[in-house]
Amino acid sequence: MNVSTMIPELLEALPLTLAIMFVALAAGFCLALLTTTFRVRRVLLISTLADLYVSYARSVPVVLQLFIAFYGLPVLVGAFGIEDFLSANLAAMVGLSLYHGGYLSEVMRPAYLAVDRGQHDAADSLGYTFQQKIARVVGPQAVHIALPGYGNSIIYLIHNVALIMYIGAADVMATAHLIMARDFNQYQFETYLLLAVFYSLLCLIAWMIIRFFENRASIYTLSNKPAKFSLTASV
Amino acid sequence: MLELKNLKLSYGTSQILNGVNFSVKRGDVVSIIGPSGTGKTTLLKCINYLVKPTSGTIDFDQIRMDYARPDKATIQAIRLRTAMVFQQFNVFKNMTVLQNVMDPLVVVQRKSQDEAREIALMELDRVGLSAKKDQYPAQLSGGQLQRTGIARALAVRPDVMLFDEPTSSLDPELVGEVLKVIKDVTSSGITSILVTHEMQFAKNISNRIVFMDAGVVAAEGSPSEMFDAPANPRLAQFLSTELETQ
Ligand SMILES: Nc1ncnc2c1ncn2[C@@H]1O[C@H](COP(=O)(O)OP(=O)(O)OP(=O)(O)O)[C@@H](O)[C@H]1O
Ligand SMILES: [Mg+2]
Repeated sequence: MNVSTMIPELLEALPLTLAIMFVALAAGFCLALLTTTFRVRRVLLISTLADLYVSYARSVPVVLQLFIAFYGLPVLVGAFGIEDFLSANLAAMVGLSLYHGGYLSEVMRPAYLAVDRGQHDAADSLGYTFQQKIARVVGPQAVHIALPGYGNSIIYLIHNVALIMYIGAADVMATAHLIMARDFNQYQFETYLLLAVFYSLLCLIAWMIIRFFENRASIYTLSNKPAKFSLTASV
Repeated sequence: MLELKNLKLSYGTSQILNGVNFSVKRGDVVSIIGPSGTGKTTLLKCINYLVKPTSGTIDFDQIRMDYARPDKATIQAIRLRTAMVFQQFNVFKNMTVLQNVMDPLVVVQRKSQDEAREIALMELDRVGLSAKKDQYPAQLSGGQLQRTGIARALAVRPDVMLFDEPTSSLDPELVGEVLKVIKDVTSSGITSILVTHEMQFAKNISNRIVFMDAGVVAAEGSPSEMFDAPANPRLAQFLSTELETQ
């Protein structure tokens, strides 16, 4: 056993890790959109629940949220008579989606509120419906405001994926530990270094994607020049 | 064509509008003047329900609404027949000048892109902004932004134009270009309501002047009645301080 044979083994766990991450990314985004909607357009009870959910997602440590998902979900689905259907991986997806959604909502809401009141007035006065106003005017401006914060929440999500091994999901971290245990704890430093490179790369890719959109949207901000592209001190 | 009766509005505990009665006939150019903070902007925004009066009624041709019982469809009907020009321009920041003017035509009026573009280009030409059509708001001066706002309002072909202090956030040297456009618009016969602090301009373009004070219409009349021989003492006082500062 050496480092070079370890890499393919680690890579085998990559698809599942990425799958969990992308599910959390997508589901979290939808959840955040829904939650934010109810937090800016107050609806009795539902809005309060949305507030509570966001506090939960933002204040409870992510590891704890994962345990709660892992042990709570069977109870929840059990109440509907479904048993033995939850795996650690599914719990990881649910747990991370809930975390990411709540966290992201607290990026989206301030961004929405930061859009100038006058933009609402103009759209309303011209007869835009609420949906049209959001889609055409307020949404695009809020997205632009939210992008840096969104980038951060994606990076936090990526980091927190490393925690799902605590509930027994078979991600790269868990796999690395299995390999190390099997190989009599050789190459620990190398393994962790490899994982560090892996996470750095993921964050770099995420950051570059966000940066691309930030630059694209910068045409209508006050500064007409696109933000300088530099790889250092950004991720 | 447009009549507001006994309009009342308060923000929290402070009563802003205390029963305003106000009417406009087709083709009228009415200027609303009055001290700062008397509710001129608020009154204008009541018409298209950007603010919510607590009571009062609006009659707009066949459209009628009691503000105590606001109704979505009626509000929309009024909004479709009015267009507003804002003190802070409120040009859509995420769209170019041309897109700003086209968007309501495409999104709200469901016109085709081609038809909307044609109308938009015509209105931009009218306000002298054809050369700037592909610029984003961040790249424009205040005067150009306000002319964009005016073009956007004109393009929807409103029955009534609502101007809310269209020049008061402009640098002095840019006021002229905007007033010129407004003068051109109002003299084309479109019914207009203009809130302004430009007394001379109001006198020149209006056929009626409304003086608001402390949340009510305190006096109204023709420009010469109001400016040359103000009967209302508050109006006389307002005019003398206003003319002093100008
Ligand atoms: N959203 C709001 N909440 C609370 N008070 C408000 C709000 N908007 C306006 N006001 C108050 O209502 C009063 C009337 O405001 P309004 O803007 O209608 O005055 P105005 O006659 O247009 O004044 P100006 O000539 O300075 O534009 C002001 O005292 C203002 O402080
Ligand atoms: Mg005002």
